[in-house]
Amino acid sequence: MEEETEKRDDCSVNGDIDTIRDHERQQLPRSKGTNRRSSKMLEQLLIFTRGGLILWTCKELGNALKGSPIDTLIRSCLLEERSGELSFNYEAYTLKWTFHNDLGLVFVAVYQRILHLLYVDDLLSMVKQSFSEIYDPKRMSYDDFDETFRQLRKEAEARGEELRKVKQVGKPVSSVKKQGQVSKSGLDGGKKSSGSKKDDGDGDKDKVGSLMTNGNHKIEDDGSDKTDLANGKENTTDNVVLDPSKLMKLRSKGVRGRGGVRKTDSIGNKSSKVTAAEPPKKATKKNRVWDDAAPKQVKLDFTDSVDENGNGDHVDVAAADQGESMMDKEEVFSSDGESEDDDDDEPRSDEKPEAKKKGWFSSVFQSITGKANLERTDLEPALKALKERLMTKNVAEEIAEKLCESVEASLEGKKLASFTRISSTVQGAMEDALIRILTPRRSIDIMRDVHAAKEQRRPYVVVFVGVNGVGKSTNLAKVAYWLQQHKVSVMMAACDTFRSGAVEQLRTHARRLQIPIFEKGYEKDPAVVAKEAIQEATRNGSDVVLVDTAGRMQDNEPLMRALSKLINLNKPDLVLFVGEALVGNDAVDQLSKFNQKLSDLSNSGTTRLIDGILLTKFDTIDDKVGAALSMVYISGAPVMFVGCGQSYTDLKKLNVKAIVKTLLK
Amino acid sequence: MENLEDLKIMAEQWSYQGIEYLQKIPPTQLYAAVGVLLFTTILLLLSIRLVRRTKSNTVLLSGLSGSGKTVLFYQLRDGSSHQGTVTSMEPNEGTFVLHSKNAKKGKIKPVHLVDVPGHSRLRPKLEEFLPQAAAIVFVVDALEFLPNCRAASEYLYDILTNANVVKKKVPVLLCCNKTDKLTAHTKEFIRKQMEKEIEKLRASRSAVSTADIANDFTIGIEGEVFSFSHCCNKVTVAEASGLNGETVQVQDFIREYIKP
Repeated sequence: MEEETEKRDDCSVNGDIDTIRDHERQQLPRSKGTNRRSSKMLEQLLIFTRGGLILWTCKELGNALKGSPIDTLIRSCLLEERSGELSFNYEAYTLKWTFHNDLGLVFVAVYQRILHLLYVDDLLSMVKQSFSEIYDPKRMSYDDFDETFRQLRKEAEARGEELRKVKQVGKPVSSVKKQGQVSKSGLDGGKKSSGSKKDDGDGDKDKVGSLMTNGNHKIEDDGSDKTDLANGKENTTDNVVLDPSKLMKLRSKGVRGRGGVRKTDSIGNKSSKVTAAEPPKKATKKNRVWDDAAPKQVKLDFTDSVDENGNGDHVDVAAADQGESMMDKEEVFSSDGESEDDDDDEPRSDEKPEAKKKGWFSSVFQSITGKANLERTDLEPALKALKERLMTKNVAEEIAEKLCESVEASLEGKKLASFTRISSTVQGAMEDALIRILTPRRSIDIMRDVHAAKEQRRPYVVVFVGVNGVGKSTNLAKVAYWLQQHKVSVMMAACDTFRSGAVEQLRTHARRLQIPIFEKGYEKDPAVVAKEAIQEATRNGSDVVLVDTAGRMQDNEPLMRALSKLINLNKPDLVLFVGEALVGNDAVDQLSKFNQKLSDLSNSGTTRLIDGILLTKFDTIDDKVGAALSMVYISGAPVMFVGCGQSYTDLKKLNVKAIVKTLLK
Repeated sequence: MENLEDLKIMAEQWSYQGIEYLQKIPPTQLYAAVGVLLFTTILLLLSIRLVRRTKSNTVLLSGLSGSGKTVLFYQLRDGSSHQGTVTSMEPNEGTFVLHSKNAKKGKIKPVHLVDVPGHSRLRPKLEEFLPQAAAIVFVVDALEFLPNCRAASEYLYDILTNANVVKKKVPVLLCCNKTDKLTAHTKEFIRKQMEKEIEKLRASRSAVSTADIANDFTIGIEGEVFSFSHCCNKVTVAEASGLNGETVQVQDFIREYIKP
């Protein structure tokens, strides 16, 4: 208790820490060290170059940070094009950053997550200003900056104290109002979402403030922390769907379990989509009889006469007849010139003609002189046009927004190179960002993985998941064909025990490709079927097992639970999410919910998330390839295959440069 | 004194004669002559520059993220790694003379050193710099070698099968960094492991169809276990310690291949 009072006096934290503290003490791991150090609110402040050299750290706050928050920040946030966000959480710390794009510097402040410090943004911008004055590319150590920093910090803390006092007066009023509002919206949210549980109710409540600092656990914090601007922004965005940083948490395995869900569940709750939970399978329907004739129990089976092993009269052997899979063919795409089509696009843009003329003239003037520092107002029209263009290419709206914010953060304050227009600079930056996102983070060499598993004498298990009707079974067959071409022995497992004809479909494919199939018919537990299939594969020495599952909507709780059980029980090597390229904004919802459920419902040990994406029906979209971008951005998983037709050879790899070119055309 | 004055008078006379002569020539011829002179000088300059360009002095520092490239870069440049590094987001470039504790005699040509970020999302940056590389230093973390062995070997395989590297026979140095630590592996062990992994990669990638779009070339000799001596470009192994400043082997390698 003593320590607690000490903290309350020292820190410039918002008023009602009591509730947070009690709540937090049970949730977050706390070591004795943090209590003693808490008198210094800021843990560390670093300045480093974009090339990686640390220029200055505050020596007063010489605390060694637990883990490696800076490296994690760079890897999971800044390099993932999420630099437009406001903060990043890593275990017990919150990190805030700002860039000086002209000099190529990054300023990062680290502080304890439970302390909601108001002055950090202020401090960062002041530090940025004063440091850029003394910065010299040749100098490597800046010890004289310590003094400046101490003064700046005192100023910022003082300002923070004032703000807190001002807010404390106004806070009780606003928090009461907030609670009233929030509980009402919570009720509405509960009514609207049908099959979901308490989670979504909390989701609505937290929706209001949780995008900002994810460390906010109670609604009272939202009222006190947010500035009016932020509140206004929150209220206007109805569908506050995204919380990519939350997904980062899922992926980093740092936080998982029910705690994470309750606190910051702001994953999309589109009120427009009312999905009814699947009715439990009741007794089968009786056949309807129209006339009084005696019901003839005719067997409605028009399949060819085949016996159990599938050796029928006509056996179509696919094998080598179809030629090589497109995976192995060189991608021939017309390499258009590198010249930008801005001149064509400008007349077509939606800007007012007068403003456009003036904008064009001034940008030309600036481009020739090339000395202007890019400001937000300069970048806005170009970014807006770029966002519109991305959205016409079927990129989800939130993703386009986040990308534009990230590009803005990386360009603000940069000097224009001479003879370049603003729009071309923005285009170049966006192109870099897109290439970075679509380049896989880890190797997608499946062959190598298969060989590695073979050495360990176990089969390589791939599970195909996705919503209904995206093409899982078809593409499963294509992947089997491709693997077979490379002399890998494949086995199929028919774990879609719900949809009529699913098992027969796979059986036909297996017959044509001449590969074994493991099936147990319908209405069996898919997890158990998969387990037995893997055992069978180990016994007969198959290298790869491809597991087909039933399609399911992402909101369907019992089905997602069943999927989670399948994955937990069998521990596959690759969880492949099958998504169609025709999907629009729903891609974001699907992937985030799938990942969410997989992480929540996983039991002890490693959390398995989606490892790869299989993009299907690519031949149906001409140049509206944005779904690939949305899916990769929201899940972080690379696109491993692209299905572009309905025959066995229509499977290819994703060509990153071609996609980026198509997106920005 | 008289001689000087005579010389001055003679110089003046010559200049007057020269100007008269020039004024006699019709202007078009004059301009044509000047034009031709300019043109030939420009051609000469260009050709000299082209011939000089074939000998580039760029050395690439590549390797996985966290292997110690940026530390090595600053050691080679300044002799110390200053206050530490974080994951690089952009390449570090510099043209300088290698910092060495004992001054070497003779003319040392400055080296253009490029430290390419190792993060997999920034892999395309390496492709930008490969065409101008005269030598490549592939940095490997000798401490955490085994968990990253596969990723490191894939990266090295991609470099060794790159068209530019194969055609120009760019020498590669496999540098085992962090050897100051006790549990770091030896360079022999690392070399054997890398050869084994690359052999596996070779099997899995070239057992495919003829149109192998992933890699431009295949390396090694058919039917034999891969070894670095099979590569047409020279691959050597060395040890270094970025934090301690023991970069002698790397410096020797660079000096050997970047001749003044």
